[in-house]
Amino acid sequence: MTGRAPHEPDLAGCRQALIDGYRPLPGVRDEMMDEGGAVRPHWLPVLDGLAALGPAEVGRRFQNADRYLRDSGVFYRLYDDAAGVERPWPLSHLPLVIDPKEWQALASGLAQRATLLERLFADIYGRGRLVAEGRLPAAAVAGSREFLRPLVGTLPEDGTGLGIYAADLGRGPDGRWWVLNDRTQSPSGAGYALENRITMGRALPELFEQLHVVRLAGFFQTLRAGLTSLCRSVDSRVCLLTPGPLNETYFEHAYLARYLGFVLVEGADLTVRGGDVHIRTIEGLERTDVLLRRLDSDWADPLELNPASRIGVPGLVQAVRSGNVTVANALGSGVLESRALLGFVPALARHLVGRELEIPNVATWWCGQPLEREAVIADLDAFVIAPAFEPTLPPLLRSGSVVAAELDAPERDALIELVRRRGVDLVAHEAVKLSTTPVWRDGRLEPRPFVLRVYLARTRDGWAVMPGGLCRIADHIDARAVSMQRGGRAADVWVPSEAPVAPVSLLPAPGHVPIRRNVGPLTSRVADNLFWLGRYVERAEAALRLARLLAARAAERERRGTVTTRLIEELLLAWEVVDTPPGTMDLIRLSVRALNHHDAQGSILALASAARRAASVIRDRFSPDAWRALTELEMALSRTVPADVTGATVLARINQALRITASFAGLAQENMNQLAGWRFLEFGRRIERAINTCRFVRQFGVAGAPDEALDVLLELADSQITYRMRYVMVAARAPVLDTVVLDSSNPRSVTFQIERMREHMAVLTTRLVREPTSPPERLLLRLDSGIATLDASDIDMLDMIRAEQTLMDLSDAISDRWFTHRGEADETP
Amino acid sequence: MIYDVRQVTTYRYAAPVATASHVLRLSPVDRPGQRVLSMALDVEPWPAERSEARDFFGNGLTRIALHTRHEALVLRTTARIDVTPPPVPEPEVTPPWETVRELAWASADLTPTAPVHHLFPSRRVPVVADITAYAAESFARGRPILASAFELACRIKADFAYEPGATDVTTPVATAFALKRGVCQDFSEIMIAGLRGLGLAAGYVSGFLRTEPPPGQERLEGADATHAWVSLWCGPRAGWIGLDPTNAMLAGLDHIVLAVGRDYADAAPVDGVIIATGDHALDVAVDVVPVDAPAASGPV
Repeated sequence: MTGRAPHEPDLAGCRQALIDGYRPLPGVRDEMMDEGGAVRPHWLPVLDGLAALGPAEVGRRFQNADRYLRDSGVFYRLYDDAAGVERPWPLSHLPLVIDPKEWQALASGLAQRATLLERLFADIYGRGRLVAEGRLPAAAVAGSREFLRPLVGTLPEDGTGLGIYAADLGRGPDGRWWVLNDRTQSPSGAGYALENRITMGRALPELFEQLHVVRLAGFFQTLRAGLTSLCRSVDSRVCLLTPGPLNETYFEHAYLARYLGFVLVEGADLTVRGGDVHIRTIEGLERTDVLLRRLDSDWADPLELNPASRIGVPGLVQAVRSGNVTVANALGSGVLESRALLGFVPALARHLVGRELEIPNVATWWCGQPLEREAVIADLDAFVIAPAFEPTLPPLLRSGSVVAAELDAPERDALIELVRRRGVDLVAHEAVKLSTTPVWRDGRLEPRPFVLRVYLARTRDGWAVMPGGLCRIADHIDARAVSMQRGGRAADVWVPSEAPVAPVSLLPAPGHVPIRRNVGPLTSRVADNLFWLGRYVERAEAALRLARLLAARAAERERRGTVTTRLIEELLLAWEVVDTPPGTMDLIRLSVRALNHHDAQGSILALASAARRAASVIRDRFSPDAWRALTELEMALSRTVPADVTGATVLARINQALRITASFAGLAQENMNQLAGWRFLEFGRRIERAINTCRFVRQFGVAGAPDEALDVLLELADSQITYRMRYVMVAARAPVLDTVVLDSSNPRSVTFQIERMREHMAVLTTRLVREPTSPPERLLLRLDSGIATLDASDIDMLDMIRAEQTLMDLSDAISDRWFTHRGEADETP
Repeated sequence: MIYDVRQVTTYRYAAPVATASHVLRLSPVDRPGQRVLSMALDVEPWPAERSEARDFFGNGLTRIALHTRHEALVLRTTARIDVTPPPVPEPEVTPPWETVRELAWASADLTPTAPVHHLFPSRRVPVVADITAYAAESFARGRPILASAFELACRIKADFAYEPGATDVTTPVATAFALKRGVCQDFSEIMIAGLRGLGLAAGYVSGFLRTEPPPGQERLEGADATHAWVSLWCGPRAGWIGLDPTNAMLAGLDHIVLAVGRDYADAAPVDGVIIATGDHALDVAVDVVPVDAPAASGPV
């Protein structure tokens, strides 16, 4: 690849420029460069590729990559941040490249370790022979909070309790890879690895081709097939059980569920009846028998595990015990993550898999044993001391581990005292010096320590390894803080191959949501959120139209409110879009206030935020474009407005926001799968629009309303053009009300909304409801007949009030029928 | 000694409960030192689903699910139990506490009666430096374990005020320790925290005391409600020995075991999830009467 390039001299020069000044840190191995300063052969094509693009182009590509991540809504959540802020995914633009031969050895060693761990898992919760035979101290198991006693005896004997396993790896100065940690609870990051890959594939496609980087999709196919094969019946679906949107990796849960075609559920979406696990869907309860668990075991069942959990499924443990559901990873799998076990795994290898470990884990001694304990105390400065079971152990080990040699005398004494008194809680391990990989900073390369996480999935025939992984890179040269929570970055991991690789992707082309024709059951919670999303967006639009009227008047230099202006202000106040009494504020300031006043519950910004929140709970149902429209709306509204803003500027801003809501409506119409979920979104919009239109009529269309008010009504209902085409005259009450309320060809009329609702209702109820007519149907019929019998010339305001009330009752009835399952407890599923 | 035990646990809900699932630990079972001659647990209203099982620690477990609207839940345990406590070794001849600790740490036993389950912090009982230091005063180097532990139980009885209402079931053990007051649950969990801080295996026992003392003896604290005490592993020979810090005594003829675990959370009489909007009121009435003595509070 390098030898025959026509511009060889230039390329070599450019490459040299890239690595100019790049030097491995003293005593630390670098992935890209050897001790002599020479680039390792498997990195040459990457550097040449970058050199060929040139620094300007590379910078542009990387910017595009960041924009893509932002636009796709890839984020993770910071826990220690009070506001629980979502951070854009920090991608390091340079991949970690691993030599294919070396990768083979890693893959084999990790498969061996996964096999060992699943056998250890089965033994701990099963026959307990390793403990009974003295190979593993009982306390090294019992000390883990994740040794969940109610699960003892519930694991399959064949050792298939783990569905997915990940290992954190580091490379020492001698070039050997070491396992630093086992991830067995519910390994996170595979979805981020996939996003990294997609982003890098877009940023550097030619490099990707040239190196024949092995693709990841095959791994996910294997994972999906493995879990799907556990289903007991063909029509049952795999669920991905998430703690919910507040979890740091919720994005990944939604992303993986969508990618794998699993149903994303929270604990509240599931219910155990008669020992079986069911999904609460809009069609009633639906059985499920495989859960991909992203919720920590202890929180999974408040009845038998942590009673404080509000995010679990009461009775799940009993369902597991009865064999009616398979959870992957099996409940209690976190016990394998204890550092204490690292001290025993090497010796257990011979017993459990018949061979020595192919990849060692970091040398570890559990201080619960008298000989080890005394040896550690005798040579304390040689060790790092860490909690054996917990992440931290305040006060001494409040930030995890300590390097004994770095302690002052009193701390050192306290540590020795702790080891003596409760050595069971501690391990000692060798200090690890992580190798470094290059990161792109300010147009040049710099070495940074990293940890590599590699994922494995269980198949019927053993373990499959993801050809790549998640590389987490420290922000500083100090290797001890490799954490996404502490400002680190992530990188894609490339394993080149000799031959071109066939493109396989489970992912649809960007911008198109559906991945399968059958998107699976719609959970009640999702339907609920879609319904409210529809209502919020529609209300925001209605409020924007009101604000636009004010801004337009302000732009025309109208300062003093007319009667009509006053009516608009009144309605804005009634909807709590603003909190200032009519006539007390300048129109420009008032319209700005309507947009983004923080204290008003119903400000348009508050409505947009509510819409975005509702959507965030159901992100797996959304196209990235529709999601982007919602975040853009919020951003557009929250932009600060200069004090001397003109009416024209405000008007432009409102029009921009209206364009976004229109584009959201279009995206929902065009890009959402038009199954039940879309209908609930639509239903929400239609109900809200009907309510708003009735309210507009009451405000601007009373008998004797001025012509100007009737004009406003036409504008709010977006019906001026229709009206002018029909009636060559100024606005008159009866024809205006006919257009706005009764005209079924006007997409903003009340009648039009009712007709759409009747269509949705027909589809939802013929498929779903067993009873002859349900309360929502009856209410809709009542509404329909009430409006249909109206005569435009004598529409009474009472008619509108009645219609609004029926619409609100309808909203409640929909909620009762499909979302809260009120009364369902008495039904037998 | 044979006892008739009656416990009535009543939950009254401010708003009707539509659906509920509960796990009950209200059925005494056979254990070393006690035999259940007869036992019944009545649930009102009649549950839609009910099943009996044992939990990890061997406690009798009843799972119930109620799918009908109810404003109260009444759980009635009636049992006749024969208590024959095993002999307790002379405290001064038990092994040094450090020896017992090493044996527990090195134990090759992960079965439910093994000491290892009770060595570590549990949901309700963390290791608290202050409590460990308090306990350590009774554990001089090489001192026999039971002598040390009994002294600790006596010190707790002396240093802490028994004061119902000063704490509730959710009060953290460190708070009760700082308050220097509480009830049997607090005293037991404080003692457990201290023992575990020293590296010893200590568990939580919930159960009953006889309601009226034998003639000429004083009524014990906690006799009118469910009681709690501590179980300490004293080595493979002596095994588990019950200590009652509320009454500064060893558990014996008057102590009837209902459930055991690492702390109150493991032995809680009622765990549950209810779908309801309102609050609830709880009432527990306990009556323990020797069968061969005339019942003080009327026939059971």
